[in-house]
Amino acid sequence: MAAVTLTNVVKRFGSFEVVHGANIDIADGEFVVFVGPSGCGKSTLLRMIAGLEDISGGDIAIGGKVMNDVEAADRGIAMVFQSYALYPHMTVEQNLSFGLRMNGNPKADTDRRVKRAAEILRIDELMQRRPKQLSGGQRQRVAIGRAIVREPQVFLFDEPLSNLDAELRVQMRVEISRLHKELGVTMIYVTHDQTEAMTLADRIVVLKAGNVEQIGAPLDLYDDPANRFVAGFIGSPKMNFLSAKVVDTSNSAAIIELVNHGGARLRKPLRDAFPAIGAEIVLGVRPEHFFEAGEGDCDIPVKADVAEHLGSVSYVYANSGPEELIVEREASRQRASGDHFTVSIKAERSLLFDKAGARIR
Amino acid sequence: MRTQNATAYRFLTPYLLIFAIFWIWPIISSFIISFQATRTVPWRFAPAFNWGRLIGDPAFYNALKNTLLILVIQVPVMIALAIVMAVLLNSPLLKARGLYRFAFFAPVVVGEVAYSAVFRLMFSLDFGIVNKLLDSIGLPKVDWFSNVTPAMALIMIAVTWRWAGYNAIIILAGLQSIPEDVYEAATLDRVSRVKQFFHITLPLLKPVIVFCAVLSIIGTMQLFTEPFLITERGGPGGGTETLGLLLYRQGFRSLNFGYASAVAYTMAGLAITITLVQLWLMREPK
Ligand SMILES: Nc1ncnc2c1ncn2[C@@H]1O[C@H](COP(=O)(O)OP(=O)(O)O)[C@@H](O)[C@H]1O
Ligand SMILES: [Mg+2]
Repeated sequence: MAAVTLTNVVKRFGSFEVVHGANIDIADGEFVVFVGPSGCGKSTLLRMIAGLEDISGGDIAIGGKVMNDVEAADRGIAMVFQSYALYPHMTVEQNLSFGLRMNGNPKADTDRRVKRAAEILRIDELMQRRPKQLSGGQRQRVAIGRAIVREPQVFLFDEPLSNLDAELRVQMRVEISRLHKELGVTMIYVTHDQTEAMTLADRIVVLKAGNVEQIGAPLDLYDDPANRFVAGFIGSPKMNFLSAKVVDTSNSAAIIELVNHGGARLRKPLRDAFPAIGAEIVLGVRPEHFFEAGEGDCDIPVKADVAEHLGSVSYVYANSGPEELIVEREASRQRASGDHFTVSIKAERSLLFDKAGARIR
Repeated sequence: MRTQNATAYRFLTPYLLIFAIFWIWPIISSFIISFQATRTVPWRFAPAFNWGRLIGDPAFYNALKNTLLILVIQVPVMIALAIVMAVLLNSPLLKARGLYRFAFFAPVVVGEVAYSAVFRLMFSLDFGIVNKLLDSIGLPKVDWFSNVTPAMALIMIAVTWRWAGYNAIIILAGLQSIPEDVYEAATLDRVSRVKQFFHITLPLLKPVIVFCAVLSIIGTMQLFTEPFLITERGGPGGGTETLGLLLYRQGFRSLNFGYASAVAYTMAGLAITITLVQLWLMREPK
């Protein structure tokens, strides 16, 4: 059981800086997901926590102890690799017990730990097989089993589900969630898939190009993103971003005009900051926050371009000019390409960003 | 489908003809010749003539003993050396990797006669650099060419020099196919580098090592160049004569084709047998 604390963590490869001073506090027993687009430094952060990469600056502490110069094996962590990294020439049982056997762990204890891991992951019947003879999902279980056997204080997962097909991914996601409840230990999980992040995490760390953009509970990030990047990254389909211009500010609100939608106007109450009149800004509206005509504060007539019917919901790609909107509609199976309809935006169900992407509240 | 195949075979005919005349026929022919007395005109069928002689020929047993001795000592030493060289080549600390790779591979490309001449010079009793080095560190000079044991050692050193790098390059390819994260997983499992080598690297290299061993066994069974050129036709006094040399002596000096063919078949039979035993010993469990 251990908390993990990253203080101003920097990583450079040569002179190329890929992590620019990350500060992340992970509580004991918490499930934290690092999410961000490919190449943003998620794996690098995780590998620094694991001790597989040197730390160029700052401190990483596990269980209150600074680990910068501690050997990977002594950090009390276990890691599940994206490619599983199973020992190809060993049976599942040997894979699980290898580390313990190499360290002279008493056989009875090794057997007990291996048996327990096999039970937790339901891989008892596979113990004598080799990795080659396992399916992707089974390999994944063995890789997790090998981590469990170490009885670590912190589990690290690097995109563990990205090599699995969609159905298996959902299934394993549930299993990992269950595992976290069962073991109650700290887990740090890296993914580029925001759905995985939303479904698994107690808290999400959103990363972009080596910077921490926002840390928060999944629904907090969804409801209250700190900037346009987080707003766009969290949620599927993506949030719509509508170009707008401030035409007036009065009574702790801004009147904005949607420049690509026939000059439709919206009164957006603000709390902290008031953009200058004439400033170009961006209004963010999630697909599920377009209401029926007249229900909101600002109506926009649009024309359906393409409609995707998923059964429970439909996504209509619609436009009224150069800006395409994704509109979620429940049970609107009859909506077809070419239809004209009106969507309505509610001020409290939309977000305002300045030109640079920072949130205006 | 049928006509397609026929067309294909028509295009292949020139190659198949050459293959049949220069590969298949000699193999069959020498098998037949090995059952013939070839020192009489005309040759006549006499199964016991060559094979019977082989069984009782001290020269054959001498050559067989020398060949197997070289095989048993040189091949394992060379493979072990090749593994070490491959691991060093694969080290991330190594600078100028391409240069080393080329240097290791170069001996295979060097002409046999040239390399043998250089070896003769290097190991010569009075002028050779090897004896000079031995001398300079206070060891007695060795007469590499006049005594059987040093001469055998010289053959093994020469063969190892020529082929170790070649095998190292093959093993290097095997090393590079082992994914890095397997080692990272082992590091997290607190497995030392040495244990990683013996418990992960070596087992995963096994198929490549078996391949190299089989190639080397077949090569050594046919060993000819070094005892012919470096120790001057198996000298001293047949002390380094190999089966390949015996074959040459019988076939092309005494023109005793029947006996030479019998020796050739014995060599091939031994190579196949040893290889099969080797493959059986190193087979994958289950
Ligand atoms: N060993 C390395 N040497 C140099 N650059 C690296 C190395 N590993 C990763 N990088 C760079 O660091 C950045 C972050 O990589 P990574 O952490 O793997 O991203 P992610 O896991 O988020 O996709 C990338 O730009 C990548 O090219
Ligand atoms: Mg990654």
